[in-house]
Amino acid sequence: MVKIPVGIPIFVAAAGVDNKFATLVHRYLLSAAVWLVLASGVGLFLAFHHVDPSLLPDIAELSYGRLRPVHTMTMLFGWASLALVGLALYVVAKSAWVPMHKPLGKVEYGFARLALWLWNIGIAAGIVTLCMGMVNGGREYREYQWYCMAPIAVGVIIIGILVYRLMARRGVQGVYISCWFILASCFWIAIIVVMGYLSPWKTGIADRIIDGYYIHNAVGMWFTPLAVGITYYALPKLLNKPIYSYALGVLGFFTHIVFYTVIGTHHYIFTPIPVWLQTVSVIFSVAMIVPVWASTGNFLMTMKGERLAIRHSYSLPFFVVGVIGYGLASIQGSAESLREVQEVLHFTHYTVGHAHFAMYVFVSFLIWGAIYGLVPRTTGVEPPVMLVGVHFWLALSGVAIYVVALCWGGHVQGNAFVDGEPFMESVRAMTPFHVWRFVGASLMTVAHLVFFVSLWRMRPGAFSKAFAQQPGA
Amino acid sequence: MPSNIHTSHRMVFLLPASIYIVLVVVIAILPAMSASTEEKALEVPPVTPLAAWGRELYREKYNCVVCHTQQIRGDVRRRNEVDGSVPVLAADARFGLEGPTTAEEYAHQEAPMLGTQRTGPDLMSIGIRMPSRQWHYWHLYKPQSVSPDSTMEAYPYLFSSEKPKAVGDAVPEKVELIEGLGYDGDELWATPEAVAIVEYLLSLDRPLARKNR
Repeated sequence: MVKIPVGIPIFVAAAGVDNKFATLVHRYLLSAAVWLVLASGVGLFLAFHHVDPSLLPDIAELSYGRLRPVHTMTMLFGWASLALVGLALYVVAKSAWVPMHKPLGKVEYGFARLALWLWNIGIAAGIVTLCMGMVNGGREYREYQWYCMAPIAVGVIIIGILVYRLMARRGVQGVYISCWFILASCFWIAIIVVMGYLSPWKTGIADRIIDGYYIHNAVGMWFTPLAVGITYYALPKLLNKPIYSYALGVLGFFTHIVFYTVIGTHHYIFTPIPVWLQTVSVIFSVAMIVPVWASTGNFLMTMKGERLAIRHSYSLPFFVVGVIGYGLASIQGSAESLREVQEVLHFTHYTVGHAHFAMYVFVSFLIWGAIYGLVPRTTGVEPPVMLVGVHFWLALSGVAIYVVALCWGGHVQGNAFVDGEPFMESVRAMTPFHVWRFVGASLMTVAHLVFFVSLWRMRPGAFSKAFAQQPGA
Repeated sequence: MPSNIHTSHRMVFLLPASIYIVLVVVIAILPAMSASTEEKALEVPPVTPLAAWGRELYREKYNCVVCHTQQIRGDVRRRNEVDGSVPVLAADARFGLEGPTTAEEYAHQEAPMLGTQRTGPDLMSIGIRMPSRQWHYWHLYKPQSVSPDSTMEAYPYLFSSEKPKAVGDAVPEKVELIEGLGYDGDELWATPEAVAIVEYLLSLDRPLARKNR
């Protein structure tokens, strides 16, 4: 019999956690999972649109122009944000050594629930208004009307204050790096949303400068630091060993701020935006290799020699994929910023492939790893291992098909642009790749349904039931 | 005890926040301010109310920008040293007969739709490339009727079998029936919305670029 390092048994780990806290975290994750399933359905519908729109109903509410922002906004602000925030609350409380039997006060619980409500209302209102044809068009990732984004922004500020209070109450002198990433990203996203909606420069090139800033900061100063911050806690915890190099993490943190903030204009290369701004964005996009590989390398070195633990864990394989995905997606992004590459690949579906690589293989896989690894430590219930396995392989094979199809297709499409063939050639050439994209998207959607069931099985109420079935209990 | 980011949660907030604010000022706010100052010196292009409504529908109601760009990229690496002109990027040549788009052409436009996806063709100069009003009606009613392999969705709800009421300058227009439309009614009318959108598309004929050439 091989001895497997498993750390603390799940029941023991969960025993000291306030049930209200476990429920709170689980509700954030469950809300996120509902949005994930919904947005996947929309994504699948859109994927089919590229194959043959004539087979779909011609209804204004379900038109491509409206559903695309429904898909992106629900995925970004519904799924990824809520899941990361739910996990972040637990990670901050744990890494700050706050007593887990009472991490939050009564009023704080009230505010945490209020934030979730505001957030869900914002997303739901956003979906309805977008479908009704009230789109903040031409402004990617902020297509919501301001009154749909406002509740979400208030939610973020509440979460930021709660995170700060948890950190202030910590049981050790040091502030762990996970808390740095999480607290800072709450501040950054608040500034980003304010800039996106309240900037006084609404016309001409000035508007596009703010747009480039917004697009890339919303991704890089919110999702990335939250996912990385959570991994800095969850990965060493699940492997039951310290992080490989704390100093490397510090380097990654500060270079991330300086480099990531200034690269937004790489979405607008070869446009009338001042050339110096474009050049700065390209240079620092390449420099992103430093913060990305400081963290990726750190995580890989932490996982080194732990093959046995990874093989016997149902959560660690998600981290392996997520960490490698982070490194590769970012290298891909650095390469895409180069003018020579933009010339061919900008405007093509290669960009869509890259976006899914980053938000799915990197962010979503790390979220799933953290959920499967950490939620049982709050609720005391483990997910059905079989379902987790099905989820893992469906999601991985689905996204692999999806990303390969779109990146390959993007090359074909981009070369059709450059070769000066009639435009329709670029559309015709993409059809087989869109079919594969639909296949990949279907697998991913099924994976999300499986994930939803697994998450439901881990709910706090299930603890007593599972415990009652223990022999001798 | 010295206060640093490793031991003080206050510093964990203040340090990343202040670095970020400085960077945002340098990379977004100051460039936007100077671009905005330059914009104020540029003249406001004349836009008919009908085309303006069409743009509103294009951008805020049907969000066409997710598939169509409006920018002809200029290859700054091959700038002409003598007159400072910039050639059109090879990939955009089929759309760029009047040269790369300039800041002037986007001036005073709310959220200029440069776009990030070219799933459909660029529309910066669509008014020059396809000046036929009827073609645009056919294309909106059923894109595949005039562009067989198109993956654009149809907008039959912008059309009506009976003559709709006019809205301001938007007077409904009768659509000539062609075979590919697959329409079996007696007459087909473009609603005021369709008229406005097509008016906007036809207005995209790069007047400033043609004037400067």
